[in-house]
Amino acid sequence: MTSTTVEAARLTKHYGSRSAVENVSFTASQGEIVGLLGPNGAGKTTTIRLLTTVLVPTSGDFSIAGHPSTSPGEIRRCVGVLPESSGYPAYQTGGEYLRFFARLYGLSRSQARSLAAELLATVGLEGRAGSPISTYSRGMRQRLGIARALINDPVVVFLDEPTLGLDPAGQAQVLDLIRTIAKSRAATVVLSTHLLPEVEEVCSKVVILHHGRVAGAGSVGEVIKTALIEQSATLRVPLDRVERARNVLAGFPNLTVDQVAEQPDVVSLSIDGAGTDAGSSDVMNAALAAITAAGIPVLHFELEGARLSDAFFKMTSEAVA
Amino acid sequence: MTLQVAPPDVGTPQDSRATTEPQAGWLVVAEQESRDLWTSGRGLILLFLFSILLSAVTYLTSTNQALNFLEQRESVNLVLQLAVAVGVLVTLVVSADGISGERERGTLESLLVTPVSRRSIIAGKLIAALTMWFATFLVTIPYVWVLARGVGILGQALTLGFCVGTLVAIGLGSIGLLISGVCNSNKTSVAASLFLMLILFAPTQLPSGLPQGWFFDVLRRANPVDSALAYISSILVNGHSWTQDLSYLITPLLTATIAGGALVLAGPRLVRLMPGVNAG
Repeated sequence: MTSTTVEAARLTKHYGSRSAVENVSFTASQGEIVGLLGPNGAGKTTTIRLLTTVLVPTSGDFSIAGHPSTSPGEIRRCVGVLPESSGYPAYQTGGEYLRFFARLYGLSRSQARSLAAELLATVGLEGRAGSPISTYSRGMRQRLGIARALINDPVVVFLDEPTLGLDPAGQAQVLDLIRTIAKSRAATVVLSTHLLPEVEEVCSKVVILHHGRVAGAGSVGEVIKTALIEQSATLRVPLDRVERARNVLAGFPNLTVDQVAEQPDVVSLSIDGAGTDAGSSDVMNAALAAITAAGIPVLHFELEGARLSDAFFKMTSEAVA
Repeated sequence: MTLQVAPPDVGTPQDSRATTEPQAGWLVVAEQESRDLWTSGRGLILLFLFSILLSAVTYLTSTNQALNFLEQRESVNLVLQLAVAVGVLVTLVVSADGISGERERGTLESLLVTPVSRRSIIAGKLIAALTMWFATFLVTIPYVWVLARGVGILGQALTLGFCVGTLVAIGLGSIGLLISGVCNSNKTSVAASLFLMLILFAPTQLPSGLPQGWFFDVLRRANPVDSALAYISSILVNGHSWTQDLSYLITPLLTATIAGGALVLAGPRLVRLMPGVNAG
């Protein structure tokens, strides 16, 4: 049975008259990867700093692994954090850096040494343990930061923009690592990122922040559904089957089929006056099934308005109620 | 490349990992900060420059016709005062970088999320900054030994210099950390500390010291650096006993106590991120 490891209730942080975070509430469970999304300045970093006791909330409450916010020391013992734009001491080696943090958690020198070696191997840096951090690439530094976040075998790992500035290969490595952390260590991962497709793939839950407030929360499917995005699709079939495909699709009364300009083999499908609910999804599925049943090869089919990025842009481009 | 994260195995040393704050978190911080200070080359360069300055002063006091008029006691006093002045200056500058520098380099937040208390972080940083003073004093010892030969004040001079210098270094190092904690940028912190040093050291650099009179005496005694140097002079040059001019130590003692106390009390509020730092 999984237990709730993060519980935030109406968290609020004000800097003078400016509100950085307002009434943010969400929960996360053991082994879950929660995506904390939002445009720049939405309050993601502030939320993470509140939950990791770096900042004190103006109001609201939270608990981490059952420890209330009134026990910051206990919370710090069971969280691992990779801060946004984390800096590293240039003169230290990766090994020294991890040994230092291990000792801050009360490990002896020998324990710290073996743990540092183990974690460096975990993040694929075992060959660079003795190199100064100043010689590391950005991706290597991020992985070193993740290794540091795991040094106390945390119950909850907070990763603030861990893929920022990384090339696609580096992003894939870090996301792979995050997935493995949640699975193998049964840790909760709270991930703040801008990589929406990857979040959709990796996260079991998302919290979308906008102007410091929760604009949407839940599973990816729930968030998309909440956003009520008009659903449409594009369908590409062989040029000589376009007419037949149009005839098949004409059998769906609430489906509008249009030719895409300058792409004679592509038609666009849209559902008349419908939002993204179960019914409209069924119509698209049925239309696709009818096309394939008619023996028309589907070269490309893309559903629009059903992705997390669509929900994200809709939620963050509107004023939050 | 596939990255694998192994779960903690039952029976491995991970199970016995202590996840509480170490008894001596401050010691771990002090150790690492000192290592960074000395292995980065900052400390060694400053010490090297100081040893060149000290060599020049010692050479001049031993060979220069004009300076040769100084009695041996005065030469020892001059070198000790120089050691205290430079040692305290570098301690102040290093401590002024302690918190604001970590903020700017983005390394503070990682430290804040460990179980080590913020007071321990401050204590560790202060001790690391004080190693600059201790190293400066160590470098001074052979010079004092050379100059004090034959007048039998070597032990007294070294003990006096160490005690008084340490007292002033603790006070000004604490002030440096306080400045570093409240300043938004590292440049502001270091500049403010250097300005403070300028104010404190200016009177000691007047050709014949401060003029006589009660006003200037109060001014001297109110300045922790000037009064500490005056105390050293009164013992080494005037031959006073250690207890005769103890009143000179009131300001250095008060500075160390008040600044140190302020660090202990305000430490948790000082070691923090400034609003708006990379907050998204």
